[in-house]
Amino acid sequence: MSAGVGVDLENLWIRFGDFVAVRDANVNINGGDFFSFLGPSGCGKTTILRAVSGFLDPSEGRVLIGGNDMQGIGPNKRPTALIFQNLALFPLMKVWENITFSMEIKGASAAQRRKRADELLDMIALPGQGDKLPSELSGGQRQRVAIARALCAEPDVLLLDEPLSALDLKLRQHMRTELREIQQRVGITFIYITHDQGEALTMSDNIAVMRAGVIDQIADGKTIYNDPNTAFAASFVGENNVFRGKVKQVMGNEAMIATNRSGDLVARISTANQGKMKEGDDAMMFIRPEAFAIAPDGATGDHFVTARVNHEEFEGNVFNIFTEGEGGKEIKVSIPNHGQSFQDHTGQNITLEYETHNAVLVPAGELAAE
Amino acid sequence: MNNSFLRVSIWVYLVIFFLYLLGPLVIMSVTAFNSSAFPRMTPWECLTFQWFGELFQDQRILNGIKNSLIIGAGTVVLSVAMGLAGALMLTQIWPKLRATYYTIIIAPILIPGVVLGISTLVFWDRINRMLGLGADSVLSNGIFLTVIGQSTFIASYCMLVLVARLQRYDIALTEAALDLGASHAQAFRKILLPFMRPAIASAAVLAFLASFENYNTTTFTFGGYPTLTIELAQKVRYGITPSISALAFIIVALTVFFALLNEAKLKRQELVAAARKQATVEELAGKIKLPSFFAGNMAAVLLVVFAVATITVVGTATAYDPGQCIANVKEQKQLEAEQRIQELRKQREEQRLRREEERKQRFEGVFEPGDLQPGSTEEEAEPDTGTNNSGFGNVFAPNALGGDSDEGEAEPETPPAGNGGFGGAFDPNSLQSDD
Amino acid sequence: MPKFLKEFLNRNGTGMGLAILGLVLFWTIGLIILPQLSMLDFSFRPNLPPPEIGGPKDVYTLENYKYLIYGPEGGSQDYNAVDLRVFFRTLLAAVCVTIFNLILCYPIAYYLGQSKGNHIRIFAIMLIIPYWINEILRAFALRIIFGETGVLNTLFMGLGIWDTPFDFIRNDIALYAGLGYAYILLMIFPMYNVIESLDKNQIEAARDLGAPWWRIHWRVVIPYAKPGISSGCTMVFMLSAGALAAPQILGGPSSLWFTQLIYQQFNDNNDWPQGAAYAIVLLVTCILFVLAMMRVFKVNMGDIGK
Repeated sequence: MSAGVGVDLENLWIRFGDFVAVRDANVNINGGDFFSFLGPSGCGKTTILRAVSGFLDPSEGRVLIGGNDMQGIGPNKRPTALIFQNLALFPLMKVWENITFSMEIKGASAAQRRKRADELLDMIALPGQGDKLPSELSGGQRQRVAIARALCAEPDVLLLDEPLSALDLKLRQHMRTELREIQQRVGITFIYITHDQGEALTMSDNIAVMRAGVIDQIADGKTIYNDPNTAFAASFVGENNVFRGKVKQVMGNEAMIATNRSGDLVARISTANQGKMKEGDDAMMFIRPEAFAIAPDGATGDHFVTARVNHEEFEGNVFNIFTEGEGGKEIKVSIPNHGQSFQDHTGQNITLEYETHNAVLVPAGELAAE
Repeated sequence: MNNSFLRVSIWVYLVIFFLYLLGPLVIMSVTAFNSSAFPRMTPWECLTFQWFGELFQDQRILNGIKNSLIIGAGTVVLSVAMGLAGALMLTQIWPKLRATYYTIIIAPILIPGVVLGISTLVFWDRINRMLGLGADSVLSNGIFLTVIGQSTFIASYCMLVLVARLQRYDIALTEAALDLGASHAQAFRKILLPFMRPAIASAAVLAFLASFENYNTTTFTFGGYPTLTIELAQKVRYGITPSISALAFIIVALTVFFALLNEAKLKRQELVAAARKQATVEELAGKIKLPSFFAGNMAAVLLVVFAVATITVVGTATAYDPGQCIANVKEQKQLEAEQRIQELRKQREEQRLRREEERKQRFEGVFEPGDLQPGSTEEEAEPDTGTNNSGFGNVFAPNALGGDSDEGEAEPETPPAGNGGFGGAFDPNSLQSDD
Repeated sequence: MPKFLKEFLNRNGTGMGLAILGLVLFWTIGLIILPQLSMLDFSFRPNLPPPEIGGPKDVYTLENYKYLIYGPEGGSQDYNAVDLRVFFRTLLAAVCVTIFNLILCYPIAYYLGQSKGNHIRIFAIMLIIPYWINEILRAFALRIIFGETGVLNTLFMGLGIWDTPFDFIRNDIALYAGLGYAYILLMIFPMYNVIESLDKNQIEAARDLGAPWWRIHWRVVIPYAKPGISSGCTMVFMLSAGALAAPQILGGPSSLWFTQLIYQQFNDNNDWPQGAAYAIVLLVTCILFVLAMMRVFKVNMGDIGK
């Protein structure tokens, strides 16, 4: 990683009247990182972005960019550039004028601006399109113009507010790769806002998972997926099956929980909660669909679950089995397809097996909405 | 069957409606070309352009136009600025205050113009006195007061026009500009203002027209600077001449011209936009050229027809001399007048004879009651000297007698002789006589 | 709300924010609120020559309002019959003009709002053009038409429908036609705006259910267009009650408009407080009347002016 400019949030609170949009956020974003804020809509991630770009004053706490306190510095004075959710391309300006708007403000000549615009248009693979109006471009092209416009301002930090949400699925997946490439080429810090865990996981160096104004976990994608801090993080990122219960016995980094239906099960306590969970606590155990295997009938023990199969489906690369779970929620099991023959279990009871290190135990908490 | 009946009645209704709407303007315009000294369409006398000449020699009208333009410019600047500020405020005011604020800034549209004029006059007069300024200070100046008074409500119109466009403005555009390093003023000038430009242009035109035609408010505030409308009102109230029709014709023609021009431009923009959407980059450069200005653009065609017609009319006006026709008509009128006088004389003779028989008194000194009306022409007062034909012709041109249209009081009692020619039935003065 | 102010200045920049705030305050307070209050205050004062204003004689009095009701002190009549009659006649006539305009304009607003095509734009221009012509000239045009030797009389006498000229002016027909004429656009526009947004399917559905055309209007279109109708009616009523030019030019000799009385108080009698009092009475009565009508027809204030 090149040494870009880092961004730090220190004890950041943002309130609108009585409503707390951001609660005590502490984040250190390394220079040159691709950093994502991941959370459902309304969780406060856009608010954080607006505080970083300077459109909002924090109610408490500080925003530091490159170690400098940004208090009282307006958006036009900050070394950030924001890519808006709707892109906010200036509709009356041609593409090249849009891209070089920041130069116009600084008083650059038209010739200089044209030259820079051509360079940037080449970079975003839209050569010769500078004289069009934004309305004459396609969605993906507009997207790239917005990126070029932000990059033209030579910011230290590029802020992106769900810029891909308006695109269709194919284009979105393509743009993910492209964004990541651009970020690595220019080497500046990207702060990316999204509610799409796929985007966050594929592009980011680090991710902050947010829920209702609170940051639950900051880590790289693998850690968040495999070792979530909270029930919310576990249920929001990727598919997960939840088992509720009470801690019966703590054994080092593992614990035995008593569940309502499936008897006593053993699980690994997630790293952040190790040493904090004690007997009698309400807990939730998460096991990914792909972490299950079908065990021989009649197998019992603390890493076996028996359940009745509701229905099954074949998805190509995996075979999904949906069994009765708790509280109306089904347990999903995905068996990888290696060309083996699948037996239809619908209506039968099957026994599922998991390995202890794949079952993550966190304190009981709010789950992400489906 | 029912359907076609409905369709026919809709069209009949539309025809009647637009007759009511446009008929008066057409008739008024036509009267500007009739040589009859009283503005009317029938009987048609001669095609003439003399009323335009008279119009352009009328110093009060010219002065009124000058004042109107000055006041219009001031009103446009002030009310567009206030309207824009008001609209911007409306989009971001504290929600609890919004309804109250909206009521306040929309109220001037509903407040009668008379009330606005009076309140402006009273308020600034008081301010003037509080500041200890004299009667000739800026604050009591007619132009200042009129601009202020008119802007009070014209700004509301502007605000409505501007807020409609502002609602479609994406505030993220301003934020994007700020984010890219622009100051607030730069963002306003480079982003918001260009976006608002069409609406600002509409608001400015609207403001100017509203200012130009305003009477109710201005009539209280104009002081020493009567606008064109005030001058017109004076003229119309104290006697009407076809030179007012001539002015009306010019205004109608200008209005139609600019309406068509605007429509043609809009249509062209639409066509260009449609073309751009389809065109590739290479085509864009040289494609939209003049001939396509007319393609599918009715208004543009009309515009050209209109321009040609104007040139024709002006051309005719310089070459055409209605003198012979007017002389003919005059002769005709004199003949008619003579004939009427003969009849009148006969009548009078008969009356006199009758009276002589009834009351064997002095027969020459008795006047008809109507004859003693103030300002009646001599010819009328002394019908017996009726050989004075040329003078009697004036009855048919009441305003030729002078601005005060003294024929006003003549109507019902006058002998039938006056009937045909008198515009006095309109009687603007009788309004005043009730005062 | 200093916080609100601070946010406002932050959002717009200090310079721009102050400019906006300054203009808005100048407009709302300096041009709208204070002059009205000033006029209200003035209407409670005696008519004094300038040097005595602010002097010991400058006290609040109900004199000017009493004058409207009781006439001059020691006058021969118990009530100021002339002015009161003019006042009520003005209101009544304004109501008539409003109703006339509503009936005249509803069909065209409906037609314009529900039709598509190029001719609609031409119609719109034709509607707007008369509105751009000077108010005085519009009245003047009607005077040419309604005059004793005007087009109408010539036409009807030529057709033999009547043989002596009919005095449209004395009978106030010219005046009503002129007032109606002046405010057609203000009636059409709000109605058009609302009707244009009415989903055609609603009408189709009603027609499909077998409703005759008048019932469709009564049950579907008019209830939907109510905000526009009330908006248009309010404007036409207020403006015709406050009209000055049309009555001055088209009014018969015997029929004064209340605004003309105000005008006389100001310009002929030079009695500003009296004129201000009359203006206040006109304004307040019109507002109360409109509010009462809105209550009767169950219309919200927020719908007006849309």
